Amino acid sequence: MGDQIRVHFPRVSSKDSLQAPGVMEDMHAPDGVVDDALLTDRAPPPVLFGAGGFMLKQFDESAASSRKGSQAPTPPRSVVGIGNKVAKPDYSEAKIVLAMVGLPARGKSYLGNKLMRYLKWLEYEVQVFNVGQLRRSRARQMALQSGITEDHTSKYFSHDNVEANRSRDKLAEDSLEMLIQWLKKGGNVGIHDATNSTRSRRAKIEARVAKEKGIYMIFLESVCNDPAVIAANVALKVSSGDPDYKDLPKEVAERDFIKRIKEYEAVYETITEPHLSYLRITDVGNEVTLSRINGYLQSRIAFYLMNLHVKPRSIFFSRHGESQFNVDGKIGGDSQLSERGFQYARALPELVRTHIGDAPLTVWTSTLRRTIQTAQYLPYPKLTWKSLDELDAGVCDGMTYEEIEQEYPEDFANRDEDKFNYRYRGGESYRDVVVRLEPVIMELERQENILIFGHQAILRCLYAYFHDLPQANLPYIKIPLHTVIKLTPKAYGCDEERYTLPIGAVDTHRPKPNIPQPEVPTTGTSAREYFGKHV
Amino acid sequence: MAAPLYTTASGLLFHAGKILILMVGLPARGKTHISRALERYLRWMGVKTQVVSLGDYRRKTLGGAQKLPPDYFTLGEKSPETMALRKLVSDGCEKHIWDFFEGGGQVVVYDANNGTQKSRQTLAEKFDKAGIHVIMLESICDNKEMIEMNIRNVKISSPDYSGWDLDKAVEDYYGRIRDREMSYETITETNWPFIRIFNVGEKIMVNNIRGYLQSRIVFFLMNIHNRFRMIYFARSGQSLIEHSYKADSDLSPAGWEYAERLKEFVSERRAKSLEQRGYNPNDRRLVIWTSTRRRAHHTAWPFLTLAQASSTPEPAASSQSTPTDRADQPKESASRRHVKVIEKPQMSEINPGVWDGLTPDQARRLYPEEWARFVKDPYAFRAPRAESYHDLSVRLEPILIELEREKEDLLIIGHSSVIRCLLSYLIGLPASEIPAIEIARGDLLEVVPTSYGVHSQAFHFWDGPGRRVVTGEGEVELGYLSHKDETNFYENYAEDTKGKKRVTTIDIASLSFGGEDYNLPHQTENL
Repeated sequence: MGDQIRVHFPRVSSKDSLQAPGVMEDMHAPDGVVDDALLTDRAPPPVLFGAGGFMLKQFDESAASSRKGSQAPTPPRSVVGIGNKVAKPDYSEAKIVLAMVGLPARGKSYLGNKLMRYLKWLEYEVQVFNVGQLRRSRARQMALQSGITEDHTSKYFSHDNVEANRSRDKLAEDSLEMLIQWLKKGGNVGIHDATNSTRSRRAKIEARVAKEKGIYMIFLESVCNDPAVIAANVALKVSSGDPDYKDLPKEVAERDFIKRIKEYEAVYETITEPHLSYLRITDVGNEVTLSRINGYLQSRIAFYLMNLHVKPRSIFFSRHGESQFNVDGKIGGDSQLSERGFQYARALPELVRTHIGDAPLTVWTSTLRRTIQTAQYLPYPKLTWKSLDELDAGVCDGMTYEEIEQEYPEDFANRDEDKFNYRYRGGESYRDVVVRLEPVIMELERQENILIFGHQAILRCLYAYFHDLPQANLPYIKIPLHTVIKLTPKAYGCDEERYTLPIGAVDTHRPKPNIPQPEVPTTGTSAREYFGKHV
Repeated sequence: MAAPLYTTASGLLFHAGKILILMVGLPARGKTHISRALERYLRWMGVKTQVVSLGDYRRKTLGGAQKLPPDYFTLGEKSPETMALRKLVSDGCEKHIWDFFEGGGQVVVYDANNGTQKSRQTLAEKFDKAGIHVIMLESICDNKEMIEMNIRNVKISSPDYSGWDLDKAVEDYYGRIRDREMSYETITETNWPFIRIFNVGEKIMVNNIRGYLQSRIVFFLMNIHNRFRMIYFARSGQSLIEHSYKADSDLSPAGWEYAERLKEFVSERRAKSLEQRGYNPNDRRLVIWTSTRRRAHHTAWPFLTLAQASSTPEPAASSQSTPTDRADQPKESASRRHVKVIEKPQMSEINPGVWDGLTPDQARRLYPEEWARFVKDPYAFRAPRAESYHDLSVRLEPILIELEREKEDLLIIGHSSVIRCLLSYLIGLPASEIPAIEIARGDLLEVVPTSYGVHSQAFHFWDGPGRRVVTGEGEVELGYLSHKDETNFYENYAEDTKGKKRVTTIDIASLSFGGEDYNLPHQTENL
């Protein structure tokens, strides 16, 4: 097979390791560092400074005493072990109020949620402040406390209803106030999700935000001209359990909702204020207008929104078939598939055909052999991405978890403490992987049906993006072997189906020791929140 | 240039078809700066792109302003001879555009004033009929200082004004512009997609822009600027185990010395360069980017301990900063107003994969087929589990955008493979030359972006372990410890294959102290 990467060195006694300078010299032997005797066949040469050998440890011990270090009053920590925790990037300067603009059923919440997921995945603090949710929560509270049920049919949304107008203004103001307070407490992007359909409302928001130093303001207008899309949005609204229409027959609800839209249309003013910083998305994916967009995060937001589309499609994820390294319990490497892994590869064409039919599909793989072999029988166009390669375990590449634990028990425990932020020495952390996958996500948003053959850590990161899972849970998401996961993006998240082929495989999932497994959805996250979490 | 993810039979990328970008704007509004920057970026993405400059063409065919009839630039009736000359120039440019498209080109940026609706309409229709997507890109500049600076730095050094008194030339140029201003019509027509850019990237307006390549163009334009700044590149110091990628070892004693010397030299050199250009170095901040590899961010360490007089609190890292190993940073944060260090995980050196730690000889023996392919095409070849230079270029794309965006002076302390890619982007070298660029440890590269590209100089400031020394005959002699570098050949490939593909213009290793220019900007203007 030729995948034996780790070479067992004789264990060294502590006496040997005291001869550090000598070791250093050996490391710098003029005709290379790898003993030629070890290089007999095409087997990859041993990794001299792998955590499984003795040289790394010896080197760390020797280096600590044999170097002249930094002259700085606070010298950097010396480097030992197999890795360390890396702090989160400092995003404290980014403070943005993003106010949505648009008629009901124009996909505002869709854009807001999508953007939130993307930015949260990049570790920005993002929260949607939905005025509708606030209204429903307050009404529910009032109904519970005083038994009064407020009328939230279309009458409430009429421009002529002075009382209701005042109440709605108040709700919008309160919601914005909560948003600003949240930004001040450390948030980065607060999304003010309301119709904000008139110039005067926008002027009020602008004036309020202008009072805060260092908070930037962008409007995001969603325009939709396609009657079919609007009708679909309306249907979704009245059939998906909106409490506003809880006890009403579907037809009545729909009529009322359309009337509500009419009330808004009567006063709606598209953004023309020349001084505002805004983005206008027309028929998602069709046309974007940007005006006065400044700043780094703002430009990224704009670029992201420019790449979205809402054509129906599915994204399929699968890990490679079981590999030789999986069988051996080793991490990393570039091994071939095991016999069962090949079985999976051979069974895939039928499975994929069953679920995709004649629709066009593109297959993405990493550059590692196990994903390429897994995809080899599929009759679709294929692309290999370097960015889809597995998380680089650095000095631990090619070892089993037991071996790592045995060699570096403390470091091993440290990694479990904060797996997302732990960077393997000479390798990567989960955060590093998220950074390198960002262009992949951007490309994925632009594409239609895609099937990705990836690796455990890679698919965890991609999966967390589509389901909006928190970073702390990300490294523990279960992505079993020999299973195809189908994600179908919906208005408020993704629907999910899993197809497991009855071909046995080892379980490579390592739960976090001593804590309960975090809850991870397996049925999708596309249900809409009607009341919000922050009220 | 570097990084298409794939190629297509037609040579056109991103399903975007052919695109003609018509620059629109008055003279001295940064059109050329924008055109050239866009050309550089698109070429780097693998898109066949060409700037066609009306001003350059006019000078080439008709000569400098002295040789033109007096009514060439003025308003009002023109003589038939002048009309004929102007037509000759614009026809010539149009022919250039057609030729480029017919030869398989994808994007042309037509750098001319295109100042009237009528002329734009005629031109756009002509190309639209041939199935070419036309985008108008208007550059508006209402910042008087920016215009004046543009005139002084770029315009009047053109051959049109050779031998003129400086202030007279400026006056004359303003005269030319004034006449243009009278007839200029800003874009109000909405029948063509357009992008309007204010003060070179300060603000941007986009109308009716569709498609991926187009949105990349917009994203890029949102991130450029033409404020004066300096960019420095230096390699990280020597590490304890140079040849191991995985060990991620710390600096060697020589590496720490190098780091101290680098700090001193950068301060000195930067102060000199800034003063020469009339800037006060104390007014400006220096941002340092390093990779997350220890040899790189520890080389930046001495900068963090610069004793600064200021007591203002340290500004928080900007939003684009990527993870910082804060537990690893010095504590005296109050004194860091002028220096900020940002670690970027995308800036790690090229990953040598299974060749990590091998000598070239061992790699050749163990992987004969791979070795043959590697030697044949060191840019595109990817050793098992390694990265190719192409992979590296793709990985660096977000860094390029941030590089364009950065307004402060920048020092990049990096690895030779990374510096090669970034430099080749800035200079506009073809991809195949990237692996051959020599980046010697102990040289500081100073790059100043200008309208037409960059102005670069190399300064040699350090000799010591880990640097390759060039002797009189151009023979590369190893530094006294550098046999250790030899094993890190994947990263240092060009330096290991002496004379193979040396780019003479940036052969900084052979430069004497004080540096030498390469890729001098050529001066043009586009009236």
